[in-house]
Amino acid sequence: MKRLIVLLCLGVMILPVMAHEIKLTGEMWNRWTLETGNAPAGENTILRNNLSLERGYLGLEPKFSDAVKGRFTVDIFSTDLVKDGAGLKIKYAYLDFSKLLPIPDMTTTIGLQKVYFGSIYDWDYTLIGKSPTDEYKFANSADYGLTLHGYIPKGWGEYALGLYNGEGYKNYGANLKNNIQPAFLANLRLIPVAGLTLGGSFMLNSSERSDSLSGLGGDNPKYNEQKLMDAYLSAAYGPLTLMGEYMMKDVTYPNDSAKDMSANCASVNAVLKLKTLVEKDIDFVVRYDRSDPTDSDKDENIVTAITGGVNYNFMHDDSSNPAMQLQLNYTNKSNSVKTTNDSSALMLQLKWRFNNTLKS
Amino acid sequence: MKVRNVIIILAILLIGVSAFAKTNKVVCSGSTTVLPIAQATAEAFMDKNPNVNISIRGGGSGVGIAALQNGTVHIANSSRPMKTKEMNQCRAKGIAPTAYAVALDGIAILTHKSNPVSNLTVKQLKAIYTGAIKNWKDLGGPNLPIVVISRDVASGTFEVFNEKALGGAKVISSALLLASNNAVVTSVADTPGAIGYAGLGYLGDGVKTVSVNNIVPSKATVQNDTYPLSRKLYMYTNGKAKGAVGSYIAFIQSPAGQKIVENEGFVALK
Repeated sequence: MKRLIVLLCLGVMILPVMAHEIKLTGEMWNRWTLETGNAPAGENTILRNNLSLERGYLGLEPKFSDAVKGRFTVDIFSTDLVKDGAGLKIKYAYLDFSKLLPIPDMTTTIGLQKVYFGSIYDWDYTLIGKSPTDEYKFANSADYGLTLHGYIPKGWGEYALGLYNGEGYKNYGANLKNNIQPAFLANLRLIPVAGLTLGGSFMLNSSERSDSLSGLGGDNPKYNEQKLMDAYLSAAYGPLTLMGEYMMKDVTYPNDSAKDMSANCASVNAVLKLKTLVEKDIDFVVRYDRSDPTDSDKDENIVTAITGGVNYNFMHDDSSNPAMQLQLNYTNKSNSVKTTNDSSALMLQLKWRFNNTLKS
Repeated sequence: MKVRNVIIILAILLIGVSAFAKTNKVVCSGSTTVLPIAQATAEAFMDKNPNVNISIRGGGSGVGIAALQNGTVHIANSSRPMKTKEMNQCRAKGIAPTAYAVALDGIAILTHKSNPVSNLTVKQLKAIYTGAIKNWKDLGGPNLPIVVISRDVASGTFEVFNEKALGGAKVISSALLLASNNAVVTSVADTPGAIGYAGLGYLGDGVKTVSVNNIVPSKATVQNDTYPLSRKLYMYTNGKAKGAVGSYIAFIQSPAGQKIVENEGFVALK
């Protein structure tokens, strides 16, 4: 941890010297959570009642030239729920080259970066919860890799092709699987008419390695190949935005086919923005998720989650982007088979963000 | 609640929003270059249409376009065409950006009045702004260090200059970056070795305008697009401009509006 902090400090000192301009960004999520559910003994009780800095992002975005930009973001959290009380991870550390290839509006990105799968890469947390792809562990929100991301002329959509490690940015040490195959990704979003977005993502990933490194040789039964698909639909009209997503994951174990399994999830949410109706910038949000997070095809448990909430946005900048957001969400989660896992959570969150651009 | 009830509630809400949109209040924000055109034409338009209230803010082209995306302005003023990324973000949010050209402009290259250099090529401009040429004597002028003055990166004028004159190259780090056309003109007027750039509408007696590739920025050279740093100035709306917004933009594009554009020092549409 000390080394990481030293590196961060060095980065903060060196980047402004090298960059033409540098943007400093920050975002903090202060949250109160009250969660109720079943205790291990079976009785319904309060499982969690705590305040936390659930997430904090601090970032540097240096611009080296019109064609070369960087982004360096650390993800911090502080809560008494974990042993050390706080944690720090590098979320992004990448360079964008906008003119490396002679394709208009396309950027080549190298480093620890976004994963362009489903809604995970542009999820704006209008609801407190994570994007369904993140929440139900279909894909990582960030990973090490190389991507080509571009926009289709005249605002007709965007595309991405990526090559990633496939492990995500959070794994380390014993959690890190011994995997030598990269993950491949393709993502396409089309906007045929203003307000209607259709999209799809496809990803091939794997975990572990096929052969065993234990010294005995032979096949590794834990090696698995993953095929992930996502369909995305968004419709925005006036103050109302509807978003739907369906994702599925097929996992095959070439060395142990008895473990083969699949998972799927459907999620819809709606956001009603009232700022054009009333003087205050208020959103109403609802969300419905139906997930089959199967670890094994023998497990037929279906998780259903329903969320309702309201946001109050305030302290707007010149572009009407709010610097602060007060969010209240209530989520009820139920299980079709494992009903002892049923729970509900009330969350109140104050989110605040800032940014400032320094020029050399 | 039955699905039918939900649909009825949503329909009532949408009708309410549509009714709200039919207001006579017009809100514009964005480019500081377009600002004087918007202000002068708005005054004339409101004189003729006292029931319409037009409020105008600056902030830069990028700020105006972001506000249009957020649905908080009716018009985004921009001194550059909207970028593909911005277009994409707008359309994803249900905003259909529609561009209306309201004037033409040339980005004039300015030097101190005492500077004898009267012409620069685009290649020389790039060399100056990237730091390859640092003294006026290398351009046939006096032995005087060049003080490079540029607009800040949020400015549409910077983006057009950066694209047309610099080909996207990085401006020398010692350049003085200023937030408005007026600030550039004032700084160049006060600094003997300075070079800067600003829209034609901001020129004054305190500075000298040099030709670019031997073409002087003028009404004729901007209109026939021979001046290398000529551009269009835009107003963007969500879909086709209607109601008071449509009337206001139609007024700017009319002969009466274009006369005001010229009075402000810009070039009328062809």
